[in-house]
Amino acid sequence: MGIINRGTIHLTVFALIVLTFPFWFEYTGGYAGLDTKIIIWAIFALGFDLLLITGYLSFGHAAFFGISAYATGLMLLHYSSNIIEAMIVGVVVSTIAAVIIGFLTLRRTGIYFSVLTLAFGEMFHTAAVSIFSGLTGGENGLTGLPTPTLFGEKMQGSNVFYLCAIFLIIGFYLARRITRSPFGLMLKSLKSNQTRLEYIGINVQFYKNSAFVLSSIYAAVAGSLMVIYEPYVATEFLEWKTSGTLVIMSVMGGVGTLFGPMIGAAFMLYFENVASVFLEEQWLLALGIMFMAIVVYLPGGFVDGYKRMMRHWVKKNQA
Amino acid sequence: MAILVVNNISKHFGGLQALFKVNISVEAGTTHSLIGPNGAGKSTLLNVLTGQIEPNEGSVVFKDRPLLNITPHKINQLGIARVFQTPAIFPEMVLLENVMAAVFASRDGAYKFNLLESRRHAQSVANFAIEILEQVGLQHKIRSEARFLSRGDKRRLELAICLAHKPSLLLLDEPTAGMARHETESTIELLRSISKKNMTIVIVEHDMNVVFALSDTITVLSQGQVIAEGIPDHVRGNPAVIEAYLGKEHA
Ligand SMILES: Nc1ncnc2c1ncn2[C@@H]1O[C@H](COP(=O)(O)OP(=O)(O)OP(=O)(O)O)[C@@H](O)[C@H]1O
Ligand SMILES: [Mg+2]
Repeated sequence: MGIINRGTIHLTVFALIVLTFPFWFEYTGGYAGLDTKIIIWAIFALGFDLLLITGYLSFGHAAFFGISAYATGLMLLHYSSNIIEAMIVGVVVSTIAAVIIGFLTLRRTGIYFSVLTLAFGEMFHTAAVSIFSGLTGGENGLTGLPTPTLFGEKMQGSNVFYLCAIFLIIGFYLARRITRSPFGLMLKSLKSNQTRLEYIGINVQFYKNSAFVLSSIYAAVAGSLMVIYEPYVATEFLEWKTSGTLVIMSVMGGVGTLFGPMIGAAFMLYFENVASVFLEEQWLLALGIMFMAIVVYLPGGFVDGYKRMMRHWVKKNQA
Repeated sequence: MAILVVNNISKHFGGLQALFKVNISVEAGTTHSLIGPNGAGKSTLLNVLTGQIEPNEGSVVFKDRPLLNITPHKINQLGIARVFQTPAIFPEMVLLENVMAAVFASRDGAYKFNLLESRRHAQSVANFAIEILEQVGLQHKIRSEARFLSRGDKRRLELAICLAHKPSLLLLDEPTAGMARHETESTIELLRSISKKNMTIVIVEHDMNVVFALSDTITVLSQGQVIAEGIPDHVRGNPAVIEAYLGKEHA
């Protein structure tokens, strides 16, 4: 098909949807800035999917989101309001943490891995509100940050949106390439049968660690962008709830589909915003019920639901 | 020339002596069968050869290289492939991907950070994978998921995965178990054609038709010890072997 292949079409459509998001999002009843927040969480969830395709469920990815957020915040506060250095430092620091934590946790599988990542995540959270509170602002979070800038331009409103949108589009392009590469095939094989993968001569540990670190880089970019979006670092960025939210989004949207977790992120943030207006604190209960219904009746998440609907529709039209 | 030498290997699990001072020498290019009653230690010996189990004593030499204390993936990269007693395949992936994963592993080694290479453009890898699937007779199913295959076909697929590496030593743990008669016949043919391509095969098998049809040499294990070894005709009439299989009164 030459230059215009399916990949190009998918990517173009995706980019168009993301770039035009603010124009139509306005009419959906979300508050101003929710669109940006959705994009940031979509980056977080998209990267998380690169780990989920290996079958490893981390409950500690808040650590990488949060570490990067704190590092970015501290750079903005003490070094310069320029986001370039702040983002680079945020991502680098967080990635170093991911290499170490990945190395320590990926020696275990299944529930043991999940619990270990949870423990590490909580360790960082506890450290941030206790021994490092002088640096992090403790329970109050990191406040008093200047408005971030890029080449002298203030990063506010739609500037932030497009910055995040560009990261999401690039992130999506890369994630898609990764899942379609030989490397991606190894990640998929890892979930399917780790023993067999070893017995075709693959260093399973290296691939696991790579997927873990790749997903943490996405988390770090998202955490850093979160601080640029709202110049404040909340302790909850590091909390297990953030990791849990990420897991719920991914499962609801459809693990291993790349699109799914992003849709899950959009759905959850939007639902939180809209439903909490009339359900108030009960919105979490509603979410819980929905989550359970999806796990039981639609284990492949929204993406699977969509595929089933399309199949049903095609069948009906053929009959 | 011996391609694989097992020297004095012993392994116990708690009080159970699964292997006791086992010595085996496998000649390059031959098919060497390992037989013996249930629990004789055959699979345990394969586990030692592929690095899954550390023996308590002894050594293994493959192509003049000591094999102990090496991880399974490295042993595989050295040229030893294994078909397991229960088929180890990638159930959720289609057949073509199952074999392509192995071909990539053979092309790229144990690890390659080739994030941006397109699988679809790796034509030579796909072609080779299809060629192997044809060789084992699964070419008409390359797009179906491996979990939907019959037990016999799963073994063929696993064999295809192993062949992707062009191994110099192929270890097979009961490759015809659970197969119907005609499937067994065609597996014998397949293994025969593979061994003609100068591959060394070590095969663990209970079906004596398969063993006598394929073997150049047979080693008989019983309760962790080698009790007989030789060419098929020599082993067939050996009283110790008959006793191990059928009990004393038949000997
Ligand atoms: N990991 C293990 N832990 C404890 N005992 C084991 C282990 N693996 C094997 N055994 C025991 O060692 C003995 C030899 O087992 P092995 O699987 O090697 O037998 P086998 O010759 O392959 O038998 P079969 O023909 O039934 O497959 C058996 O008694 C088995 O129960
Ligand atoms: Mg066995």
